[in-house]
Amino acid sequence: MEQKGKDLALSRRAFLKTGGAACAMFLVAGSLPSLVKPAFGAPKEESITDVLRRQFGGKQVSQSHVDIKAPIIAENGAVVPITIVSDLPMRSDDYVKRINVYAEGNAEPFVAGIDLTPANGKAEFALRIKMRKTANVRVVLETSKGKLYGAARSVKVTIGGCGG
Amino acid sequence: MPAVGRIKIRMPHTISRGQVVPVDVLVTHPMETGLRKTKDGKVIPAYFINGVDIFYGGDRITHCDWTIAVSANPFMTFYLKADKAAPLRIVYKDNKGGVYQETVQINPR
Repeated sequence: MEQKGKDLALSRRAFLKTGGAACAMFLVAGSLPSLVKPAFGAPKEESITDVLRRQFGGKQVSQSHVDIKAPIIAENGAVVPITIVSDLPMRSDDYVKRINVYAEGNAEPFVAGIDLTPANGKAEFALRIKMRKTANVRVVLETSKGKLYGAARSVKVTIGGCGG
Repeated sequence: MPAVGRIKIRMPHTISRGQVVPVDVLVTHPMETGLRKTKDGKVIPAYFINGVDIFYGGDRITHCDWTIAVSANPFMTFYLKADKAAPLRIVYKDNKGGVYQETVQINPR
């Protein structure tokens, strides 16, 4: 009995460490479901750090060369005009390949991705986005050379814009 | 409700060759998130533009991946290096298979 308890404690530790791989052990052992449950809670909203890690694999984002023009206070979260401006070159051998836009307070932070080419002549793009609540607007630029540049700007939202 | 997929394009009237010009584009579309409910509790299904392609001549110069978090009646401004006389075609696609497009001729002097 004592031995079993020890095993459980160990596999629990292993479970926490290795996540999914350890699930099988638990299922085979048929042990306390209450131990397993917390790991399988309701799907959580993805945080901005998770999203960035998933999309860029923890690569360093240099917080430079990008400017976000956005209102300090957005009266209506359903229409928040933002402009992304970068002074990075748009030469055929070195250009901004993609602009990723995130609204950190949204259930799904990724808002839009814009693929540019040197034919755009200028790394600038404007659009209107929805924001659920006061939060940062974050932008990550990817260049054709694989470098990442970013910026963030806080926008205060007085009426949310994602319905519900 | 206004017609879905009506596109308006605004850009400088005269363009010199090689000039980088802003192009404003507005498209009418509800951009429903799928999160909103009617008064009697029914979910309004998601209906939004998820892709935009911009062609200049034969080349696709810009592509956008959009989500439900782009505002209704999406408005965007992009830049174009007008180095040739060619049509500029903007194509929107939504999640219900709708395709809306508009073409303007670019004639730099």
